[in-house]
Amino acid sequence: MKILAPISSLEELEMLAESGAEEFYCGIVPREWMDRYTGAVWLNRRSPKGGSLESLSDLRHLVESAHARRIPVFITLNAPYYTAEQLAWVTELARKLDSEAGVDALIVTDINLLARLSELRLGAALHVSSVAATLNTEAIRFLLEFGPSRVILPRSLTISEIERITGACRERVEIEVFMLNDGCAFEEGFCSTTHHHSVGAFCTNLSEMDAEFEASRDRALSPRQQSRLRRNLSHYREWVWYVNGNGCGATRTGLPYGPCGLCAIPDFHRMGVASLKIVGREASPFKKMASVRMVRDIVDRVRSGATKLVAIERAKSLRGEPEHCESGFMCYYKVDEGR
Amino acid sequence: MQWAIHVAEPSEIKPGLTLRDVEALSDSPRLRPVVSLVANLICEYFGQVSFTRAVFGNEFCEHLIPDRSRLEQMLEAARRARMELTFLTPYVSDAGIEKLVPLFEMLGRDGASEVVFNDWGVLNLLKRDFPRITRVQGRLMNKSLRDPRVTGVYATSEAPTATLVSLRRSSLDSSSYTKLLSDLGITTVEIDNLPQGNDLGFTEDAMTANVCVPFGFISTSRICMAAGMHYSKREKFQPGAACHHECQTHLVEYGYTNSPFGNRDQKFYLKGNTYFYAHSEAMLRSLFEQARAGLVGRLTFQPRLPMTWRRENI
Repeated sequence: MKILAPISSLEELEMLAESGAEEFYCGIVPREWMDRYTGAVWLNRRSPKGGSLESLSDLRHLVESAHARRIPVFITLNAPYYTAEQLAWVTELARKLDSEAGVDALIVTDINLLARLSELRLGAALHVSSVAATLNTEAIRFLLEFGPSRVILPRSLTISEIERITGACRERVEIEVFMLNDGCAFEEGFCSTTHHHSVGAFCTNLSEMDAEFEASRDRALSPRQQSRLRRNLSHYREWVWYVNGNGCGATRTGLPYGPCGLCAIPDFHRMGVASLKIVGREASPFKKMASVRMVRDIVDRVRSGATKLVAIERAKSLRGEPEHCESGFMCYYKVDEGR
Repeated sequence: MQWAIHVAEPSEIKPGLTLRDVEALSDSPRLRPVVSLVANLICEYFGQVSFTRAVFGNEFCEHLIPDRSRLEQMLEAARRARMELTFLTPYVSDAGIEKLVPLFEMLGRDGASEVVFNDWGVLNLLKRDFPRITRVQGRLMNKSLRDPRVTGVYATSEAPTATLVSLRRSSLDSSSYTKLLSDLGITTVEIDNLPQGNDLGFTEDAMTANVCVPFGFISTSRICMAAGMHYSKREKFQPGAACHHECQTHLVEYGYTNSPFGNRDQKFYLKGNTYFYAHSEAMLRSLFEQARAGLVGRLTFQPRLPMTWRRENI
């Protein structure tokens, strides 16, 4: 079970490796893409203005330095779709990422690109992005026809659902799960909105909009029903605040907030999950480092045989502010502490 | 071009349905104006149309998958009315796959049925175990951006050309993708009517486009706000949590008034776990022009947001 960390520059590498990162992933958005499509069409799942490298030479240096430490580097080519023109361009970029930069894997969402890259038989492995919404075992069986070595499960799967999928598939493909930082109020692969800076995320935007309830079938809502719906909406908006990294906040000691799966690490270790993903290519170097250290702390304890309850207690103490853990809204996964 | 109606009840499947019959199925004062608009525009563009297919099911929530008896009633009603039946399926967990198997067994026996899939796992199941069922790619598998907050802005002459071209297309733009679909036995795809307009050039690759009116989906989630109603606060908003179909009791209308662009009077609708936009008159006219030009294979009239569950249980 590896710790997969986001990275966006060579300068972050030593710090993240020393903190315990065992795999890296990053994005690259060459200038030509921006010139052609502006900031509205994203090459990967991050704004071109944040979180991605700009040149193959920068990436090559990063990969060489990571390989010197025996750490693999994966690249996101995970836009939900590419048009014919874009597909040709991205396919050529993938060839260069493989042959010139020497990356270890390409993270792909679009099945059309996955099929194309599979035919090319590159040296780089293929990972299926969480944006492909692989929510069940049958979907993994289908995708295996295109040769991926790893599938990243969406963060909306429960522990028991992940266990079932992992049990059925781990002999044929590695399973990666989300571990820390950003959440998504929607099913990422079925959200057709943009996080473009001009409007922001749709989920947080909704929290600022007026909402009116209408009863079905021409009925009227009683004041009591209205009140219950309003209260539930208020709770939902609070949950969205947690999903959005607790309003992009940090603890009093500067540790990052936001959705968290630390308590599930013992379960993932038991299941044979291959990799734990820390989200946030665009995050500050400090946030990345602090995130890696938190995950590494729990992983080391689990690897050395700590019980589940001990690991969970440690995880909660690392987060530092128990009221957020107790809210139930900051967890990616609902962990059965007794199992 | 074929005309279809999205039904919620077996009694809604009957021969000789008129546009006014379908319009009358709308049960929401907030949505009725756009349903009436569609009925009027269909009449203007195509005259009185004949509905020959019923569409049943939903694309968004595995908790709304019907049981066998409900599907059987729909099949029987369609047979009586001499209409074809399409069954919509959502994205699903392993538990959802298990729910679908007996339904596909029934549809497979029927022989003439069509299933719309919105999940690669559902496609795999159909392809492997139910090859007699016609497979149609659902609109959730079409990944075009459809964010009404911004995409309408790109439908203007000031928008960068390459950006607009890209936003009006999807993977279907690529002949390698239409060939992949064809190899998987898929010749029909469902798409949404996009705020920025649709490039239907892919229909030249022997691929048929079906479109639903007048609602497009924006986003959907395994975490349902409505399902949280009956949980204690700490237990709310868990993925795939069991529910009592609370979504059937109400819808939520959001007013978007602070857009940084000119489009400041938009409404979004939440039903259960899914947000929808309603087609504007301009969007509908643009789509109907494309339909008249032969670029659309089927138009499905949805008089309600497509999230219905059997009424007697509510």
